[in-house]
Amino acid sequence: MSFWRLDTLFLAFLSLLALLTPLLGPVNEAVAPPFCKPLWLDHESGKPLSLNAKDNSLSFTWESKPPKTFSVKGTVTFEDVPKSASLLLAGPSKTYKLVDLAGYRNFDVDIDSRDVPLKLFLGLSPFVDVSSVIFSERGAYSLFIASDVKAHVDLNLNIYTGKWGIFGTDQRGRDVFRLTLAGIRISLLVGIFATLIASTLGMGLGLFAGYLGGLADSSIMRGVDVLLAIPTLPILVVISGVWGRGLWQIVFVLSIFSWMGTARVVRSLTLSLREAPYVEGLRALGAPTGYILARHFIPEAMPLLLAQMALGVPGAILAEAGLSFLGLSDPLMPSWGRMLHEAQVFGAFTSGAWWLIFPPGLGIASICLAFISVGRRFEEMADPRLREMAER
Amino acid sequence: MNTLNNYWLRRVLSSLLVIAVVLSLNFFLFRLMPGDPTGSLLDPRFSPEAKQELLKSYGLDKPLSQQFFMYVKQMLAFRFGISFMSQRPVWQELAERLPNTLLLLFPALLLSAVLGTLLGVAAAKGRGRLTEKAVLLSGAISFSFPSFFVQLVLLLLLAHAFPIFPLRGSLSVPPPTGFWNLVVDRAWHMALPIASLVLLGFGSWALYVRNLMVKVLGEDFILLARAKGLRENEVLWGHAFRTALPPIVTIFFLSLPGVISGAVITETVFSLHGIGKFLLDSVLGHDYPAAGAAFYLMSLVTVICNLLADVVYTFVDPRISFRRLR
Amino acid sequence: MGLALLLAVYLLLPAEGKAAPLDELRRPSIDELYFLIIRDNDAQLLALEGGQIDLLGDIARFSDIKRLSDDERVKLYLAEGYHAFFLGLNLRRSPWDRAELRQSLWEAVNRRQIVRDVFGGYALPLFSFLPPASPYTLVALTSDFNMKAARERLRQKGWRWSKRGVLICPGEDKPLPKMKLLTPTAQVAPTTAEIAERICESMRSLGIPIETEPMDFSMMVARLDRRDFDAYVIAWELSRDPDSLYAFYHSSMDVPGGYNISGIRKPDLDEALESLKYAANEAEARLSAEKVQTLLYEYIPQVPIYSRYHIAALQSEWQGAIASLYMTPDNTYSLLSLRHENKKAFYWCLAEEPRNLNPLSASSAYEWQVLSVIYESLLAVDPFTLEDVPWLAESWRLDTVSEGGKEKTRITFKIREGVKWQDGSPFGASDVKATIEFLKKSAIPRYFDSVKDVERVEAADNTLTVTFSGKSYWYLHQIGGLPMLSAGVLSSLKDWRRLPEEDIIGTGPFSFSKYKPGEYVKLDKNELYWRK
Repeated sequence: MSFWRLDTLFLAFLSLLALLTPLLGPVNEAVAPPFCKPLWLDHESGKPLSLNAKDNSLSFTWESKPPKTFSVKGTVTFEDVPKSASLLLAGPSKTYKLVDLAGYRNFDVDIDSRDVPLKLFLGLSPFVDVSSVIFSERGAYSLFIASDVKAHVDLNLNIYTGKWGIFGTDQRGRDVFRLTLAGIRISLLVGIFATLIASTLGMGLGLFAGYLGGLADSSIMRGVDVLLAIPTLPILVVISGVWGRGLWQIVFVLSIFSWMGTARVVRSLTLSLREAPYVEGLRALGAPTGYILARHFIPEAMPLLLAQMALGVPGAILAEAGLSFLGLSDPLMPSWGRMLHEAQVFGAFTSGAWWLIFPPGLGIASICLAFISVGRRFEEMADPRLREMAER
Repeated sequence: MNTLNNYWLRRVLSSLLVIAVVLSLNFFLFRLMPGDPTGSLLDPRFSPEAKQELLKSYGLDKPLSQQFFMYVKQMLAFRFGISFMSQRPVWQELAERLPNTLLLLFPALLLSAVLGTLLGVAAAKGRGRLTEKAVLLSGAISFSFPSFFVQLVLLLLLAHAFPIFPLRGSLSVPPPTGFWNLVVDRAWHMALPIASLVLLGFGSWALYVRNLMVKVLGEDFILLARAKGLRENEVLWGHAFRTALPPIVTIFFLSLPGVISGAVITETVFSLHGIGKFLLDSVLGHDYPAAGAAFYLMSLVTVICNLLADVVYTFVDPRISFRRLR
Repeated sequence: MGLALLLAVYLLLPAEGKAAPLDELRRPSIDELYFLIIRDNDAQLLALEGGQIDLLGDIARFSDIKRLSDDERVKLYLAEGYHAFFLGLNLRRSPWDRAELRQSLWEAVNRRQIVRDVFGGYALPLFSFLPPASPYTLVALTSDFNMKAARERLRQKGWRWSKRGVLICPGEDKPLPKMKLLTPTAQVAPTTAEIAERICESMRSLGIPIETEPMDFSMMVARLDRRDFDAYVIAWELSRDPDSLYAFYHSSMDVPGGYNISGIRKPDLDEALESLKYAANEAEARLSAEKVQTLLYEYIPQVPIYSRYHIAALQSEWQGAIASLYMTPDNTYSLLSLRHENKKAFYWCLAEEPRNLNPLSASSAYEWQVLSVIYESLLAVDPFTLEDVPWLAESWRLDTVSEGGKEKTRITFKIREGVKWQDGSPFGASDVKATIEFLKKSAIPRYFDSVKDVERVEAADNTLTVTFSGKSYWYLHQIGGLPMLSAGVLSSLKDWRRLPEEDIIGTGPFSFSKYKPGEYVKLDKNELYWRK
């Protein structure tokens, strides 16, 4: 049976990605305006435009759908205080006065099509999309100053189509594709470390409980019962309140609350192995407990343990996703659960922005599927009867 | 028999010990969290004197040891006191929410378990054929998807794009009159939440039962039954499944506590008035009486269900005896 | 320059419904008022679009706004409010004790860009210490975003920058140590986390090495109470009156738990605040308010960043909403005037569980959304002018009297006749007296400060006279805004924290009918309502 099947290849590929993505640079910085759509989504929206006007006027053409937003920023300096002056944007059939410059020698222009005062100035309702009104026609446009005094202009006109990248941008303007890649690392880290710690704890305690019996066994099993009786979520909230939110806090809590299953399984295995003749023989020969445990029990338990681990990882990943979705995780940590939380909070579900939802959701599902598949193979190694049989 | 009685005695005693530990943990854990219930009342019109008055009215100005003894007394007598946030008796808050959570999670658990078990048995029966592969794949997929994702997508599809089901809540407003109308209305509202939970839950059951059944079907006594000429169905259900039943039932009982505590996300997404969200809100809001009572309730149910699981196991499988562990 | 534009434009904002002065308000045409409890933002939006709710207030996400603006069945409204978001500083610690650093901070934050990116333009960059809707707000006509000027000011005062761009205090040779900006987590307010990040970016551009530290809200408040912080961000819901200034900036409030979190202690500011708090009449109040704010623009104990617009949506089929520059239609006046062709039941969205329908202990805005329709006060606020309007009090008079060598404020109210409680009993001055005295005697936390200076209350026929232990113009609003409770209910009330449902009795246009937790609150039209 080949080791390199689809699931292991997939996981190896993901691990490689996880190792390489930090090289791409910081992921928490804004790269584009917020809520941009993916580049490939809509072909009619035209290209972003950035023009600088050094003369009194600037001409350009716009031959696509109205852009998402536009802005005009810069300075206008008059040779003398003008009695009447304004900044105008003229389209194929209508001209719009953007701002009144009269009465000022120097004017810092800072206009953005999203500003409510601008909409009111233009006589529009505050809920109207200014870009779609001004750029409603395709054709020639020009931005110019009309004044009774000569003006020196240094203005930048930026037209944004609201499109960027493979998966667009989120509410902070971060590249969603980069975030999705960064999420691989978080999921793998949380899943693997939480399960590793939980399994080690579980195996250790299970071995001791099963082999030593008596007080050790009872107290460990009581511990299991106590921990099982405590609901995880409130504990995590309390711990995050005391220690702050972070990757390792979540790993810690998840480990503490998931070693019980492994411990029970290992304990019952130990109980049955303990009575095996060869163990009695070893004990009769004077072998120390540690030797018996390390050289015999652990190898016996290994396949079972590996199965438990591989199946525990999806559990840890889903638990972390759930916690992040409820908003209880570190906001700076680019986990997939966090991405879904922010998507939901900022209205991605109702506005149909599926490119913010499917990458992290499918990411979680595919990693979990891969680990389950690997885990099943370990189970089959531990108990060959479970092997998926060939066609009969 | 004496050993058996001793065993039960020890089990009950240890359960009580567990409850005691959980109670104490409960008390100190919440008070460990910095901040107090007045923290969220940030209002410049609330002078420092007013805040002190509020703390006094909560009984939080007394020393910690005194608060602890009062707390233990109240918990043991099931007197949960008044919630800080709503100023209503905590019993009332719990009583309002418990039915909603139970109505959601108990059918979901039952349906997931039944569906998963049936699929698991079918997979074991149809070994090597498409059935097994299909069950294994669908089970894995069911397990792998995050719950909120599936729920939100379902909501968008079946409550908004095609408005078949309601968007939120457990009843229409105003609620319909007449007993059967009420039942239908309730069922219609709970359909999506329960369906989503079943979709997400059957996977682990199916995979577990399939493994179990495959192991059991490989045992010698099954070979014997087949050799005796029994029909396949009889072997499957009469012998193999009967043997697999005790662990399945045990797991069912062990899953019961999750029925109360496991629905925070579902309750958030579907706006259901349940206990999960109540616990989360109470903890975040430092509402000690409410959070403490909910915590206590959940722990109590877990301990009881653990005991029940043991009881059921012994009665269903008399082969198990109890040896003293050395 | 841009600020002048802003100011000019506010005056242009149309005030709808101006033609219907409050005197013309009648009994409501709505028979049944349902408050549907929908906590999830998405569900609220979908419920509005599906026609399950008629009115949705406090719409914050601009994806929702965009979607609703395209929907013709729904009409959107926008109003300025009393919301104010501040960047708070700890003036007890270096380097925040340096005035020039705070002044440069004012100019280093690009409020306009924050409003555009985070709110899609649906918030007001805030340049004042009082909210935009307050009649006392003095807007600074200086200092917009200007990083160059900010750095220049620091340079002139002797600040330098290290090789990595970190500021070095004049007189020291080590750069500023790393600092933390406390912020509530995204669960409490998602946009706050975003804004905090951007503010930190601006501060780092100026040369202040600071990072956000998101934390649980109560924890943050605990740190602020202990004065253990460098900087923080917080949003306040202020009010029409400038009395919040005293709480925030007077040195006596710089005690653990007090609201002078920044720790500013300036004698001239204290003096101005005192004359504001104890102003005898409106003219004095205005003068003091101006003086206080002028001083605040100099000292800058905290930096105002933005104020949220209130945005609400109403189904277009409902006519007659009362909305203005200061109020969206989710108010009691609208409920009195809304009319529909054939519907008599109105569905209003309630965004959180109103756990506590008890006017004595209710503390959240959601509880008051329901209670403000059941209970009324002596005075009301005109939605167009923000002036005091007679409500349960027909008229009132403010006097300053001398008693025992002290100057005291005395307010005489003429109580409206013909008003009935929702259980049928008559409302009179004795009820008002009972309410005020009950609140004072029981030391009810929420009303503690409003009634603590009341010395005595006298009720005779339909006249009520309240004498205070001191002199202040604000006493009028403090008493005028109290919800009126029935003397009968108060006398039989054993524990003010627990008000049985059958005792939720007010004088308002709707009376309590049913509360189904998690689902809805139902109110019925009050047939005995005093308006005809």
